[in-house]
Amino acid sequence: MNLAEGVQIVSFGLLSLMMIGAALGVVLLANIVYSAFLLGGVFISIAGLYILLNADFVAAAQILIYVGAVNVLILFAIMLVNKRQDFAPLPNAWVRQGATALVCAGLFVLLGTMVLATPWSTTKVVGAVPAQSSIVTIGEHFFTDYLLPFELASVLLLIAMIGAIILARREYLPEQTISPEKPQQPALTLPERPKELLIAGSDKKA
Amino acid sequence: MSFAELAAQLNAGTILPESIVIATLIVVIMVDLIVGRTSTRWTPYLAVAGLLASVVALFSQWDINNPVSFLGGFNGDALSVVFRGIIALSAAVTILMSISYIEQSGTSLGEFVGILLTATIGGMFLSGANELVMIFISLETLSISSYLLTGYTKRDPRSNEAALKYLLIGASSTAIFLYGVSLLYGLSGGETKLSAIAAGLAAGSGQSLALVIALVFAIAGIAFKISAVPFHQWTPDVYEGSPTPVVAFLSVGSKAAGFALAIRLMVTVFPLVSEQWHFIFTALAILSMVLGNVVALTQTSMKRLLAYSSIAQAGFVMLGLIASTEAGYSSMVFYMLVYLFMNLCGFICVILFSLRTGTDQISEYSGLYQKDPLLTLGLSISLLSLGGIPPLAGFFGKLYLFWAGWQAGLYLLVLLGLITSVVSIYYYIRVVKMMVVKEPQEMSDAVKNYPPISWNFSGMRALQVGLVVTLIATSLAGILSNPLFNLANGSVAKTEMLQSAVISSQVVEATTQVSVIK
Repeated sequence: MNLAEGVQIVSFGLLSLMMIGAALGVVLLANIVYSAFLLGGVFISIAGLYILLNADFVAAAQILIYVGAVNVLILFAIMLVNKRQDFAPLPNAWVRQGATALVCAGLFVLLGTMVLATPWSTTKVVGAVPAQSSIVTIGEHFFTDYLLPFELASVLLLIAMIGAIILARREYLPEQTISPEKPQQPALTLPERPKELLIAGSDKKA
Repeated sequence: MSFAELAAQLNAGTILPESIVIATLIVVIMVDLIVGRTSTRWTPYLAVAGLLASVVALFSQWDINNPVSFLGGFNGDALSVVFRGIIALSAAVTILMSISYIEQSGTSLGEFVGILLTATIGGMFLSGANELVMIFISLETLSISSYLLTGYTKRDPRSNEAALKYLLIGASSTAIFLYGVSLLYGLSGGETKLSAIAAGLAAGSGQSLALVIALVFAIAGIAFKISAVPFHQWTPDVYEGSPTPVVAFLSVGSKAAGFALAIRLMVTVFPLVSEQWHFIFTALAILSMVLGNVVALTQTSMKRLLAYSSIAQAGFVMLGLIASTEAGYSSMVFYMLVYLFMNLCGFICVILFSLRTGTDQISEYSGLYQKDPLLTLGLSISLLSLGGIPPLAGFFGKLYLFWAGWQAGLYLLVLLGLITSVVSIYYYIRVVKMMVVKEPQEMSDAVKNYPPISWNFSGMRALQVGLVVTLIATSLAGILSNPLFNLANGSVAKTEMLQSAVISSQVVEATTQVSVIK
């Protein structure tokens, strides 16, 4: 074993330990803010594993998107819903937890057996040292054999954006129901539903 | 590779129908953005015109010589043409029925049409997707637009609940599907095209534990889309909570896309584990037929009744897939064509009733015959057709499915199908009886206060056109079913992958028979 292989094995072990530890923390800790921060740790360790696999672009994308966007978004959501609520412990909680543990362990054994028992066909990729930067390869694929999914993804992102705006924007009043004693809105603003009306309306329906 | 060579290799003409729908989508969104709310008087009709133009374009691709395009990413063979046509037609009828519904619910129509068109694009691409990345992206396009449509009336808490449930269950089923697909990628040595995967699997170790796990996970993802038991838990809640036109699209368009994916994936990729996938689909079909029909008996809400009925119908259609003969596949296509008209007709009637009375309860339909004969006729015909009463289209669809299953030797499954469809006739007839037989004094309050029939409100004309067209199609497709039969048979006969699959399974059967004789 030369130095490079040794470094690789040690860093693989460290990254795996980090990932498993952080993932266990995400599931087991009671405080959701800790879970959210540990989730960021999981994502970063996965990015490290990608670098070990020569996938530098995917690692960068992993950190930018998952840590930088998704995880920060989760944290924002948690902090905006700042609600403390004590849940009464369920009477037979251990039954459910035991059942969950059993199912998870069974799934782990099944998938582990599968990974060990399967003769993976690795003829194509063994010892593949990338001849050019992975970004160039990815770009070539995007504009040749993966052209159609790449273009369809733009339609998907467009409608995801439109949908997010629809779900997030405030509702306009369908009719003019602003009562006359309230001060008239300035001419240029849109007739938005006043705050208290919105709350009263949603309470009535819920 | 020069540009001209690449353009010739892409063979982009095969996605002309989808391109028409995408162009329509862009026009609808831009017009809504620039002109404003007043444009909703004509943009829905523009969308319907675009979808019909895309169906016409599909017709011109019926006899296409070279269906594989985008370097193997898309396969526009005759089977995909039929399924894409079903999805586009269901979207067109859905837009017709949604105009007045969405206006009544106080939400904006332009965005609704846009999201529905995107869902259509996703479903159409999914029917022809021939490569794992393409399958995943188009599946996500369909799913994400469906989640958005489900939660579209966001001031209604039931719609919010339905959207959240659909999103969570859908995301986990997508994750499971993706895991199975990644196993396929690994087993075949890094291939994503379906035919290359099949070749890689055949060259490799053959049947292995990993392949079976990949199969189970892939089926879990597909069964969620076609809402087969036990992956059906989302269906009743989503059907009850979401806007009714969306439910109509989910029960026809989305389901057709799921079946197209099921046929392509099972036939192309999994011939090695053919026994296993037949076994799994048999179990799914039995559970769907029994549970769907039995639970539907106790429903009091019309939308929940149709939800369980759609689960049961998915069970019947799976019979054709399990038969895996030429007749089996074409009976699936035929039933989906018939199901398109009868189910959409039923949903148009439900929408019309809830627009006029504001309720979906089955008991409120009693005595409707005296007040609204057209609505009663439409709902009766579509429900009787769904139940499979002889001269109507649904009867011939079921007959063809059961005949194909019987020919393939699935005697128990066909018997079970017959018994459960007798059960289904009971709950369909119960609604019809409620509407037709009741005396005037037994009328429900909603029907007593029935508003005078008028088609002059905005969007009601479109609803009327949709009702009449689907009603005529449902009643005539039974008697004049020959064109549909020819379409279904032709689509299977022209599809290369099904032909080679049928021949190879016959060869296997012949060799086993020979070995038995020896």
